[in-house]
Amino acid sequence: MTVSTRQGELRRDISQAIGAFVVGMALLALFLLVAGFDVPASLTALWHGAFGSWYEFTSATLVRATPLIILGLAFTLGAKAGMLNIGMEGQFAAGAIAATWAGLQIGNAPPLIGVTITLVAAGLAGAVFVSIPTLLRARFGVTEVISTLLLNFVGAALVSWMVTGPLQEPTRSYPQSSAIGMAARLPHLGAGSRLHAGFLFAVFLALLLFILLNVTSWGFRIRAVGAGPRAAAIIGRMPVAGIGAWALLWSGALAGVGGGVEISGVSYALYQNLSPGYGFTAIAVALLGRLRPGLVLVSAILFGALEAGAAAMQRDAAVPAVAVQVVEAVVILVMLLSMRRRA
Amino acid sequence: MRTRTVVLFACLLVACSKAADRGQTAVRVALITPGSITDAAWNAGAYKGLRQIRDSLGLSVSNIEARTPAEQEEALRSYARQGYTVVFGHGYEFQDPAERVAQDFPNTIFVVTSGERVRSNVVPLVFRIHEATYLVGMLAGAMTHTGKIGFVGGMELPPIKLGYDGWVQGAKAVRPDVQSRVTYLNTFDDAAAGKEAALAMIRLGVDQLHHNADAAALGVFSAAKESPGVQVYGANGDQVSLAPDRVVASAVVDLPRAFLLVARDVKQGTFTPRVESFGLASGVIRLATNPALEASWPAGLKGRIQAARDSIVAGTLKITEGTTP
Repeated sequence: MTVSTRQGELRRDISQAIGAFVVGMALLALFLLVAGFDVPASLTALWHGAFGSWYEFTSATLVRATPLIILGLAFTLGAKAGMLNIGMEGQFAAGAIAATWAGLQIGNAPPLIGVTITLVAAGLAGAVFVSIPTLLRARFGVTEVISTLLLNFVGAALVSWMVTGPLQEPTRSYPQSSAIGMAARLPHLGAGSRLHAGFLFAVFLALLLFILLNVTSWGFRIRAVGAGPRAAAIIGRMPVAGIGAWALLWSGALAGVGGGVEISGVSYALYQNLSPGYGFTAIAVALLGRLRPGLVLVSAILFGALEAGAAAMQRDAAVPAVAVQVVEAVVILVMLLSMRRRA
Repeated sequence: MRTRTVVLFACLLVACSKAADRGQTAVRVALITPGSITDAAWNAGAYKGLRQIRDSLGLSVSNIEARTPAEQEEALRSYARQGYTVVFGHGYEFQDPAERVAQDFPNTIFVVTSGERVRSNVVPLVFRIHEATYLVGMLAGAMTHTGKIGFVGGMELPPIKLGYDGWVQGAKAVRPDVQSRVTYLNTFDDAAAGKEAALAMIRLGVDQLHHNADAAALGVFSAAKESPGVQVYGANGDQVSLAPDRVVASAVVDLPRAFLLVARDVKQGTFTPRVESFGLASGVIRLATNPALEASWPAGLKGRIQAARDSIVAGTLKITEGTTP
């Protein structure tokens, strides 16, 4: 493939993503108009909530974007090898449980070591959690779309059990864990800011995945398997099933890390409703980012901005947050349509 | 392409630098609910209180739903940053984040409904709903034909467990051999789960149902309506309208009244941080009966309930914690 067609592809991907986003926003404006809200005031509130000041941009938008970046990358990694990991919500939960457990054990370890152990534990838990669908797929050909999806419910149930059982706080009154040790917490970037070092870590992961996918032979094999499994097997003599399995395992590990970062950087304790559906929103993030790590980063920030803006619309213009979910749904549908047209 | 990205980010940075500083001195009140304000109970009551604060005290108000811990802390911080005078965090789950945020915003009063500790500008509102569930339980004990009563809870939280204790102890005061069943749903949102739990109890012979599960309890009402002979008791709000021929009574937490009391004190400048605890004596907690069904009450029950109410207010009758199976 020549450089110019690659750039042409990138340009088309970006313009399609922008197109989907613009259509979504236009429909939001239409929805607000039909529902009888003050459209300019609502959209101003949306803008202010997401980008109104440095505080809003970092503490609302980027904090929400961080798990979306990591989970968006997780989906990207799997999807590049043709494995659709719909179970990131469950792996996120598994990662959160492991991070909480590690964070409670850690005591007075030096911060860097404490955070590393916490996030490694989260990644391992995510990988273990996704190893079940991986095995089912490799052994019995069970499609991972169904098995990962179903395990989401198991993940939610595990969290419920943990916060009312093994990890419940000592007074045993509330369904939550104790707060993790200081050593397991990601530092905040700036005083009074909610933005934590996990965001930088997520950006680093995006860069890492970009390099791995585009420069290394490992990445090439993943892309080859995803693009044409039969061709990869027959012409490339690649172990297609094995490569797919590894991609799914790493995808699950990344999603687990996402859960660990949320515990370590935002909530500091395990709760039942930790994720507002990050694992599903991240699929839209990855699709809007056309499975390109760099674009996934941008689209995660856009989705983070949308949700931060939705909160502000509700606060300052009394628009229900559901309105923004409509935009997200429209963006996904438009992206799917444009992908279909290409196929 | 790269230039376009750079331009995009530059635009963001420019936009970000226009910090919005709006100094305001008027009293402003904010409400953060952990669930939908259309649940006809816990969150709806808080929202009603907020509107009354706006209408009868003339204060400017704002509200937001925040379900996850991250969103809840963000909402607390955003309101405080915007200079809101009072921020209601509507549930025990706001206690820890409110304490964290309150340190940075000493001029904002954070009210945690169902909270537990006072921390300079963090104030809990405690609702002794078990005083009313005891009375509701007495009714259930008298009305049951099968001798079996059931309770559907959202989560196993201290005030909810205590409310359950009151319900059972009230029922046993009237009918000592009453059998009680309890299910905790681990959700306040899932009406289907509420209905499922209620139907399972009904199959086991339960004919009196009580709940403390907010929006999930809408399923309890729908289960009762489908099952002949089953009666249901509301919680947190007067819920007769949800099933007029099935709701015998409700254990009401008059949230609007409690919210108004706090907001009025703040407006007049007489507010002092302390644990605000409301029971039957305050009128914030009360028993709301369905007048249409009062004719079916056993003779003498009304007097017994009134006597129990007086004893609770006088402090001679206490609901004991965790003694019920």
